[in-house]
Formats: sequence, C-alpha cells, structure tokens
Amino acid sequence: MKLKFALAASLFALTAAALPQAASAEVSPLDLVQPIADYKIYVSENAEKLVTDTKAFTDAVKAGDVDKAKSLFGSTRMSYEAIEPIAELFSDLDGSIDSRADDHEKAEKDPEFTGFHRIEYGLFAENSTKDLEPFADKLMADVTELNKRITDLTLPPEKVVGGAAVLMEEVAATKISGEEDRYSHTDLWDFKANFDGSRKIFDLVRPLIEKDDSAFVTKVSGNFDAVDATLAKYKTADGYQLYEKLTEDDRAVLAAKVNTLAEDLSTLRGKLGLN
Amino acid sequence: MTKNDKGLITNRRNILLGVGAAGSAFVAALNRAPAAVNQGAQVTDAPVSDKTQERQPFYGKHQAGIVTPRPAAGMIASFHVLAKTPAEVERLFRTISERIAFLMAGGTPPAFDDKLPPADSGLLGPVVPPDNLTMTVSLGSSFFDQRDWLLPHKPVRLSRMKASPNDALDADLCHGDLALQISSNTPDTNIHALRDILKNLPDLMVLRWKQEGSVPVLPPKPNGTHESARNFLGFRDGSANPDANDAALMDKIVWVSEGGDEPAWTRGGTYQAVRIIRNFVERWDRTPLGEQERIIGRKKATGAPFGGTTEHDVPEYSKDSEGKVTPLDAHIRMANMRTAASNANLILRRPFNYSNGVSKSGQLEQGLLFICYQADLEKGFITVQRQLDGEPLEEYIKPIGGGFFFTPPGPLDETDFVGRTLLEATGHAVTRIKS
Repeated sequence: MKLKFALAASLFALTAAALPQAASAEVSPLDLVQPIADYKIYVSENAEKLVTDTKAFTDAVKAGDVDKAKSLFGSTRMSYEAIEPIAELFSDLDGSIDSRADDHEKAEKDPEFTGFHRIEYGLFAENSTKDLEPFADKLMADVTELNKRITDLTLPPEKVVGGAAVLMEEVAATKISGEEDRYSHTDLWDFKANFDGSRKIFDLVRPLIEKDDSAFVTKVSGNFDAVDATLAKYKTADGYQLYEKLTEDDRAVLAAKVNTLAEDLSTLRGKLGLN
Repeated sequence: MTKNDKGLITNRRNILLGVGAAGSAFVAALNRAPAAVNQGAQVTDAPVSDKTQERQPFYGKHQAGIVTPRPAAGMIASFHVLAKTPAEVERLFRTISERIAFLMAGGTPPAFDDKLPPADSGLLGPVVPPDNLTMTVSLGSSFFDQRDWLLPHKPVRLSRMKASPNDALDADLCHGDLALQISSNTPDTNIHALRDILKNLPDLMVLRWKQEGSVPVLPPKPNGTHESARNFLGFRDGSANPDANDAALMDKIVWVSEGGDEPAWTRGGTYQAVRIIRNFVERWDRTPLGEQERIIGRKKATGAPFGGTTEHDVPEYSKDSEGKVTPLDAHIRMANMRTAASNANLILRRPFNYSNGVSKSGQLEQGLLFICYQADLEKGFITVQRQLDGEPLEEYIKPIGGGFFFTPPGPLDETDFVGRTLLEATGHAVTRIKS
C-alpha cells in the first residue's frame, strides 16, 4: 500500500510551519510488524512489573504499613501509566484500577470508587490503611487479570501508533493540572511514565519516517528531550518531588510541550498510512 | 475512559468513521431528493445572517478591533507566552499575524489527506466566512519583564494591574503575557478563531484564561441613527464614548503619538485595560428604579442624563455644583467630570456583557467584560478607576479579573506583522517579505 499526501494548493498566505505538514512517507503494513512486536514486549514487561510492584504495594497496605505503602504508590503506578493506551482497551479494568473520585456520582464515598486512587485517598487523605484491605485485594486481582488479558491480546497497529498521541491527550486534558494524584501529589511520576510510554512508541516507528520526514522526527524528539529536561529538575533520589513544587513557568513549559506533542503525534497514524 | 461495557472497548473512532462514511452516503441520497420536499424551515436549520461576508481590514497603521464598531460577540483570551528569544518571538508574531490575516479575510483552509487531522476545526464549514472578525493582539507587562532584551523597550506606562479597593481579583482570571481580543458577529466565529490560534501556536503560547461576552442586538432605526447598547444592569453603556470616527480625536485619546516619552516603536499603538466586573444582578433588579438611576446618573429607559432627553445630551455639572440634578456620586459624574481638565482622562470603551453560570449561592455569575483603550493608561483607565473608588455602584459590582496590556501598532501590509516595530527597536533584524 502506498500513500500519497497531497497538499491542496492554498490561496492564502500560510507558511508550511504554521500547519501540520503532509508527509510523503511510503510505509507498507509489513514495515509495522517488527515495531508492533517490539511494543508488545514493552507492554508485557510493564504489565509484569505492574503485577510485581502492585503485590508489594498491596501487601504493605494489608500489613497496615502506611509509610511503606505511601512510598510505593508513585513508583507502582508508573508501569500502568506507561502502557495506558493499551490498558485502557479493557475499560472495565481501567475503571476499577484507575478511575478517579470524580468519575463517580458519590465521589470518594461511592462504592464503585476502587483501585489506585481509592487506596491513595485512604493513605494520603486519611493517613490510614483502615478498611483498605478489600480495595487492595481487588486491585491485585485486577492487575493480575489485566496482565493475563494483555498476554492474549493482539495489538491493533492503529491503537499502538495512536497511543503515542493518546498519552499526550491524557496529560493535556486531565493531568497537567495535578488532579490525577490529588491526594498524594505524585503526578510527576505519572507524567514521566506517560511521556516515556509515548516516546517508546515514537522511537519504535521512528525509522519508518526518519528518511522522508526528518524535520518532524527532529521536532518531536526535541520536544521529548525538553520535557525530560524539565522533569529532571524535579528528580529526587527515589523518584520525583510533589506536584506543588512545579513552578508556574515549568508548568507552562510542560503544557506547551504536551500540546505540541499532541498536535504533532496526532499525525503519526496518518504518516504511517494507518486509519 | 468509558465504564459501561466489559472487556475490549469498541474502537470508538472507527465506529464514528464508519458512521461518517455511511452518513455521507445518506446525506448524498438526501441531496438528490426533490427540493420541494424540504421547503419549510426545519428546527435544526442554521439561523440565517446576511452579515457573514462582512470583512474588516487587518493591515493598517493601527490594529483592527479598537475603533472598529463593536459587533455582537466578543472575547478576551489571555496567554502565557513561551517564546523567549528574539527569533522565537518573531516566529510567534509572524505566525499569529498570518493566522489573523487568514481568519479576518476568510477563505478555504488547505485540504490534507484524510488520514491526517484536518487543518481547520471545520466548525464554520469548509469555507471560513470572515463574519466581521477582528483579532487584536496586546502584550502584558510580564511579556517585557521576563525578557531582559525587551525590558528597555517596555511602554513607559505599562504596569501589572493592581487591585482597587472594591476588587476581589481571582489570580486565575488576571494578567497574562499576551491578550487576544476577538470580536465578530457571532460567538461561534470567535471560538473558531481561538481554536485556530491554539492549534497553530501550541509550542509558543498556553491559554491561561478567557472570557466571552456579547451585546444585545437592536433593529436598525428608520432614521439611521444609532443607540448605545445596554449592559446587564439594563443601562445604556457608552453614551459618552468619544467619537471613534473622528481621527484627530482618536489620535489624541487612543493612539500613542510622536513627541511623548513613549518609545518610538509604540506609535500607532494603544493601551488596553481589561476588567471582568461581576454584577450582582438579582440585587440590582430588587433596587428601586429611581435609586438605580441616581446611582448611574442617567434615566434608564432613554439613557439621557438628568435634565436631558437623549443619551447624547451632555450634563451641565457646572450649573449643578451641589448635585441637585445629577448626584455628585453618580457613576457617570465620578467617571467623567466633563471639565477641560477631565478631557485628559477620556478613554474609548468597547465592552461586552458576560454570563458564566451560577455561583455557589445560586446567583447568576454575570457582568461586564470591560475593555477600554487609551493613549495614556495612567491618565486614562487608572485615573478614572481611582475617581470611581467608593462610588455607590460598588455595592452592586465586584471586579474579579482582567489585566493591563499594550496593543502594538498595526501591520502595514502583507510584508509586515504585529510586533515588528518592537523587534526592530531591540536591534533584531527583521526581513520584510511577503509570507
């Protein structure tokens, strides 16, 4: 399958820089086989790690060790956040693992509010593991089930490639504000995982577009680098500083990079000839 | 995330695409149906306007949207600017000018392969109508303060808006590095323009806040005269505005001119003051008419000052020094004493009414998106506001947001862009080429 992108003649003064450029990449579906296979390994490794980390996290919750559970919260979520576009394919599990209080009518008091953020609420807002055991068991069962389903899943190429942009849309719409981890304020861990997950997809397909559209590749990787440099300012020995430490200027930088990456990566599927 | 189904979520996008394809076929079939079948207006037909081709010029000594008659719909959008270096700021100014030039002229956006996101949101259809759109670019104090190389060129009177005694400013509705005033005949045209800017400048600007507004539309008067629009207090607002058709007057009141202490690059520009002023409308509506009129200083029905018959009559305060005709603390009297000296404080107002929803107390969140322009911000808005501090109207209004900005001169022609004179003043070489 060969694609030709035609830029219709514009009657108006528009610079190419002002608009997403139409690529003339010629990509065959076969070219995508290896990147997709590699991505499957990446997803599986993250799903395995999620199971291992969640075991340690939920064990700490069940043992009543508030401090240990708190210290594991940010890092445990990272393997989930990195593969979120795939994890979200299973909407029942995504709801029970990663929904927020405001996804539910009765917010924190809603019996349907389960998963990471329900436990986060107990640990950080109430500083207690009281009554969290059923949620810990449910979370462990859910991530185990997620890992099993991912093992059996054939990854749809458009979902994989589209996932790079989806991760940026998630950050742009509901994370840049710090509302994701509102009790623990470990949002920068999530940011890092979301960006890494998006960059992984981009890096895997990058060889397919590099030749025809090197300006695009340079721009996108430059923006990923800028995000890494900004987040690196907040790195600590065992993770990241709290969201509150993020300065107004750095928040604006991240927001601009996220928006720009979302715009640019939204063309990735098209550039690879995927619907 | 959707929570209503088990297992694999359906590929919503593909379903939509599928529906889209089938839907197009369906529409095509409909289009072949005899027109007579569909003669009567349908409930979802688009409302009709004969003003969608109204066009304002983008190029000129001054930016559009200042002395341009105010259309029905307006918006202020405030941005955090990420462009730091002269080259980045030039790219920002050029790109925003190119987008404004296209949007104000209207036309057909480029078509991309349908595997790519479209160039335009499409919300106004495949051909973008101008619809009387103007987009006015203004720069906040922080735009200069945060760039060492711009600081020596900051307009002399540009400051960060300070709270007046009656203000309750919300930090999330204040200030900004760059403000866009967008106005046109319809709110949708403004929203389309804003989305175009956001899509084309994601790496250089981040939206901080915006406020939309509107003014009530009137039928044309048979004798061709005009009336000032009413605000949400029900009073005519703008009766005493200086005549924007009087170029000499505008040179004095609105435009920064030669010979002053302002940097040369600002000539032809103006200061913009924006205030989001909440009105306590329920309480206002429960206030006796006579008291409302004494607080404002005008008759509500006609807009005439006390002792006058039309809104354009000029009150004679010199013959009313005790305030027996117009109370001394009436809004219009405190704002403008109408003396030779007070002429130095004239401003050109261009406000819109806004309505945002309901407060936690169940009251309407609405008021005035106040916008005014003046050649001297200190003698203009800042002085007028100081005169108004403590006025009786304060019981019914609460400024909650806004900011001060400088509006650079207009782009002269297609080789020019908004902000060019500032960049040149810094010594940054700018090439005048048609983009």
